[in-house]
Amino acid sequence: MQKAQRLLDLAAFLLRAAEPVSWREIQEQFADDYGGTGEAAIRKFERDKADLLELAIPIRYEPGDEDLAAGYQINRDEFYLPDLKLPPEDLALLYLAGSAALASGAFPYSRDLAHAMNKLSFAARAPGASEAAALATHHLSRPDAAGTGTSLLEELSRAVGTKKRVRLVYAGAERRARTERDVDPYGLFQKGGAWFLTGWCHLRRAQRTFHLARIEQLTVNQKAPRTPDFTPRKDLPLAEVATRETWEFTVHAPQRCRVRLEPPTSPEVLASFGPRARLTEDGAATVVEVDATNGEGLVRHVLSLGDRAELLAPRPLRARARAILADLARRVA
Amino acid sequence: MSPAPRKRAASSTAAKAGPKSKAKSKAKSRPRTRAPTRPGPAKREAEGGKNDPREQLRRVLFLVPYAVQHPGIPVRELARRCGVTESELLADLDFLMEVGSPPFAPDDFLDLYVEGDRVHVALHQSFTRPPRFTESEAAALAAAVGALGGEGKQRAIKALRESVPRDRRASFDELVERIYAGAPPARDSVMGRLQRAIAERRAVELTYLSASSATEAVRQVHPYTLAQRLGHWYLYGHDASRARPLAFRVDRIRDCALTDQRFEAPSEGELAKARLFSEPTGEGIRVRLGSLAAEWALARPGAMELVKRTDDGGAVVELKGVSEEWATRFALSFGGGAEVIAPAAAARAFADAVRKTLSRYQ
Repeated sequence: MQKAQRLLDLAAFLLRAAEPVSWREIQEQFADDYGGTGEAAIRKFERDKADLLELAIPIRYEPGDEDLAAGYQINRDEFYLPDLKLPPEDLALLYLAGSAALASGAFPYSRDLAHAMNKLSFAARAPGASEAAALATHHLSRPDAAGTGTSLLEELSRAVGTKKRVRLVYAGAERRARTERDVDPYGLFQKGGAWFLTGWCHLRRAQRTFHLARIEQLTVNQKAPRTPDFTPRKDLPLAEVATRETWEFTVHAPQRCRVRLEPPTSPEVLASFGPRARLTEDGAATVVEVDATNGEGLVRHVLSLGDRAELLAPRPLRARARAILADLARRVA
Repeated sequence: MSPAPRKRAASSTAAKAGPKSKAKSKAKSRPRTRAPTRPGPAKREAEGGKNDPREQLRRVLFLVPYAVQHPGIPVRELARRCGVTESELLADLDFLMEVGSPPFAPDDFLDLYVEGDRVHVALHQSFTRPPRFTESEAAALAAAVGALGGEGKQRAIKALRESVPRDRRASFDELVERIYAGAPPARDSVMGRLQRAIAERRAVELTYLSASSATEAVRQVHPYTLAQRLGHWYLYGHDASRARPLAFRVDRIRDCALTDQRFEAPSEGELAKARLFSEPTGEGIRVRLGSLAAEWALARPGAMELVKRTDDGGAVVELKGVSEEWATRFALSFGGGAEVIAPAAAARAFADAVRKTLSRYQ
């Protein structure tokens, strides 16, 4: 019998059972599948049970008592998607966030996200539901073309979730060398519209971040798919890695830097210095203070803000900004 | 593809005796030796594709309750809703005919049948609602929620967590820590009010800093939806004073106040437009990149076209639909490794910006 059919049969059977079903009875009813004696049949059943749990269908073993025989059952309350019971604005948040993520074209577990949006229509109706459903449908009907950016993100999502080691062929930007390395994928983050992988790099023996567009080849360790290959370190939370600004990359010892912003300053420019920047008013202007461990990164950021931003300190960085601008001025003259 | 479903669909008008007896007659004619007679499309596509067996299970676990909830739903609509073609849907229905539970008496099978191009459910075998969220479904949605923010963020994520089977909640907690889709674009209170206004279709007054004028103004907007593009969040809505739909960058919204004025739901077409934004128009702006800058630039997402690679390993790229100011800032972000070269007006604007900024450092 086909596996998909067996799994659904088993789910239907245990969902309907009024009381726990003993292993012996399951064997009798599914004689072709679990009828064998000994370990092999039990292992097959356990694998199916795990497959069903991955579809969010929990088969529970009830140990039994004097009134009830021990056995397996699917508790209906544990099976059915419950109503979310959220106020309309919270449901709008779910629909808006999910739809935007699907529409963005690249999101981890995007197929799961599409399924989630479909299921959401059962758990809660809200404005935006029909648009979300249309996006989900569109997403699910798309064939997953291998070798596209989407499938890379999907494969990495799975590797992150199941904690399987990956082998990357990576095109480094600064060193311009193509390297092959084993990485324990800790997590995925989005920055400036692009996705990054962070994880333990066995080549560099350090936690490193990889731009997905620079991953030329990805191989996920296929051995023992349900056994994790590693335990992620906890010393560098993902949100911290993700919000690290370029001038916070570790290149040199920390340097206190000051940047002057002429009014009017937009919230987005202030936010561009990140959550660790200290802001002080200087008349109508704003002075931003940050600790940089990669001064060059800060120079570039300040230059990108145009003539309303000026690097005040330290002197060498200010000189570097001036040199870049002087050189450009010569070239464009 | 097995021809069986079509035949059943065509001959189903004969079944006048009610769904139950019809199910029985079908079940009788259906031998219970369930040899794998169907062509197994399973192995043909990559894992996770729509023909993956796991994917088929997830689909039918949605399909059955959806059909139960929408009796007589047209085949075409149900197929669209499940993201498959009509013939794939009929194959799914065929597959479901074989699914049941011991002792496999006639009424123990699932029975979804097609009559006059509409899908009816005679026997649902308790599949009346989809299963709970898997941890990756819930975690992906939670990551999306985390990146948008809002006052309901914690409540929404908690509700998602509680919709995952108990045994998988620890995995959910772990997975949520492993996906970070960005920091919310505005204060939770602002996001919360925007979401409420969108949900209740109420007009808002935005205190908005426009990019061009660099001044703050209050704008009357009918908020339609929120969308993300190139790392920025936009509110898409109808602007009263400009009398047309516009996109507002959410991180330039300083404040948001709800009014009592309600508006009509936007059409699906209008919402789709919000996702597309405006198509890049006008002449592109060309930027010459040095070799290192080129490596970085070409890995960035965005409406950028490679015009040519230069001999020194650099490149010339064309930016579509951006302002001169944006192109200038883009070029300057490479720390001297890039300059705007065309059209002439954009190159002049770049040169002016360089000189003006340099004067600050003299």
